[in-house]
Amino acid sequence: MKRLSLLAVALLLSCSNSKNYAQAVVALVDVSGTYADQKPEVVNVIKRGILPKLQPGDSLFVIRIDDESYKKANVEGGITLDVRPSRANAQKLAFATQMDQFAAKRQRARHTDIRGAMMLASEYLKETGAGQRVMVVFSDMEEDLPKGVKRTLAPDEFAGMRILAMNVKKLNADNANPTAYRQRLASWQQQAKSHGAKEFAIVLEAEKLDELLEH
Amino acid sequence: MESLYLWPARPAASLLALWLLSQLFCWAARAPVHRAFRALGRVVAGAFRITARWCKSVSVSVAKRDREMVLEMGKGDAESKVAREFRRVEVSFAKELGRYPELHRKMDDLTARIDADYKECGAAAPTPPGWAEATAAVAKMPANGDNVVRKVLEEIHNTAKSGEKKALQEYRDATAKRHKILNGMAPMLKELKENAADAGKSVSAALETTKRIDQHMTAYEQIRKGEDKAVRAMGWQSTQLFVASLLVLGVAIGGAFVNFNLIALPMSELVPAGSRIGGMPVSTVAALVVVLMEVAAGIFAMEMLGITSFFPKLDLLPASRRRIILAVSVGGLLLLACIECSLAVLREQLVESATALKQSLAGVHEKAVADPAASRIPVVGQAVLGFILPWILAMVAVPLETLIATGGHIFLTLTAGALALIGTIARLLGHGSRYLVEGARHLYDIYIVLPLQIERLASGARPTIPAAKGARP
Repeated sequence: MKRLSLLAVALLLSCSNSKNYAQAVVALVDVSGTYADQKPEVVNVIKRGILPKLQPGDSLFVIRIDDESYKKANVEGGITLDVRPSRANAQKLAFATQMDQFAAKRQRARHTDIRGAMMLASEYLKETGAGQRVMVVFSDMEEDLPKGVKRTLAPDEFAGMRILAMNVKKLNADNANPTAYRQRLASWQQQAKSHGAKEFAIVLEAEKLDELLEH
Repeated sequence: MESLYLWPARPAASLLALWLLSQLFCWAARAPVHRAFRALGRVVAGAFRITARWCKSVSVSVAKRDREMVLEMGKGDAESKVAREFRRVEVSFAKELGRYPELHRKMDDLTARIDADYKECGAAAPTPPGWAEATAAVAKMPANGDNVVRKVLEEIHNTAKSGEKKALQEYRDATAKRHKILNGMAPMLKELKENAADAGKSVSAALETTKRIDQHMTAYEQIRKGEDKAVRAMGWQSTQLFVASLLVLGVAIGGAFVNFNLIALPMSELVPAGSRIGGMPVSTVAALVVVLMEVAAGIFAMEMLGITSFFPKLDLLPASRRRIILAVSVGGLLLLACIECSLAVLREQLVESATALKQSLAGVHEKAVADPAASRIPVVGQAVLGFILPWILAMVAVPLETLIATGGHIFLTLTAGALALIGTIARLLGHGSRYLVEGARHLYDIYIVLPLQIERLASGARPTIPAAKGARP
């Protein structure tokens, strides 16, 4: 009988899937230059597009992109949802309030350290151990590092991650020469892919985010 | 094509030369080509014929197996019907015969009382013989003026009159008494009649049962003899049962689906929502397991009630243990029904919470539509549904057993039909291929008709057709 029960336990364990189905999302919000005006809109996208899609067990972090983004202080908020849906809903509500406070803050950075924020986001994503790792970048994707700041990405910096460049604002120079805008995005794509990213996609419409995030 | 031209500059001449060469080659190779065609025809047709024969033989053996199975099923069914009727007879006889001594005693008692009453009715005080006539004679004697005699005679006359009056009164009293006794006999006679009617009913019921037993025995005899009519009837009955149970099972699966959806969402509150088994969330698996447990409990309950017989070993258990298993099954079902009822209520709360969250995240603070939460109907409806569905699912055992019992016959019938159809198609293909190869052979001859005619003219005879005797492989 004991052997039989041991066999049953072994079978049950073998049936359970070792694959982690949880999803971790990091939203990088640019508060520098002209993009700083987009913050309320970005927070709305996070609240309406990302937060409702998260399932119990999923994680969400919001990181601010400013002069030097590779700081813990740049993490505006983060949650890992409880496994019980009722508690997860309460956590989402609390996080939404936190995001409203973030949107209300007046912030405008002089420089744009995108890679620093991405490196920080990558660390947070790796720490969650989630099966699906997504980085959503809300920025014009124009990096402008302060003097003396160096950002070198590790070869496997974005290993297994999906990077979505969302709501990329076109600069005045981009309107004059769209090729420059396209080259900038292509350069980011090449950079992301070369550092192990599974996917790099440009998302123009907020509604598309629904399809790109795992349910 | 152009690469085959002998003279590329002159395609017509090249084509003519190629045609002539092919004619020559085909004419020379005619006999071996005909042999090759015959062999091909034999091989293809033979293969199809073997396939057809194999299909037919397997189909016949499957049909035979099906017939045996139907007969066995029918035999078992008839035996169980006869046994059930005998049980009824036994129960009825035990009951009626148990009552018979009492009935008999009652009837004896009643008849004895009626007899006694009857006798009492007949008993009357006898009149003293001759006394009235003597008195009358004395009273009629003439009075001779003697006062003493007259007085005596008057006295006798008065005495006679009073005696007559008294006798008449006594007679009336006796008659009234008899009537009273006879009135008292009426209920006894009624009771006697009712008892006789009861006995008659019991006898009629017994006769009906024996008639049914006779019918079952006749059917049983027919099945035992393996009569085609009985086999057809049994097969048709099995098909009807299969279709009916399939329909009921389909409805039950629909119910299970509704039940599953009712508890899948709230189940995530009870089990870890993040874990998965085989790619499915644990909450979904748990909901599925609950539904299956309800079905299993239902199967055991039905088994213990004697409605189904999935597990023959359970039939051998003593009644007390069967009662325990029945109580556990029904208790389990009740528990699961209560759990589902509470989960259904929880589900409504979760849906309300999720809707409120979405509205809040979307920045909608005003209620654009009437608040559905004000009505308790959805909650009550879901709770009732959650309580009732497990009991309905428990009934699945009955159609499931019928489906399994009749499924064998349906499977064998379909297999036999499919094999017979394949056999017929293979036979047709065999014929078709044979004539196709024959046609190809004739087309070959048509192609080289010119050399053949030249050969005929040269030899002065009709060309022999080597395939004539081997046309039918």
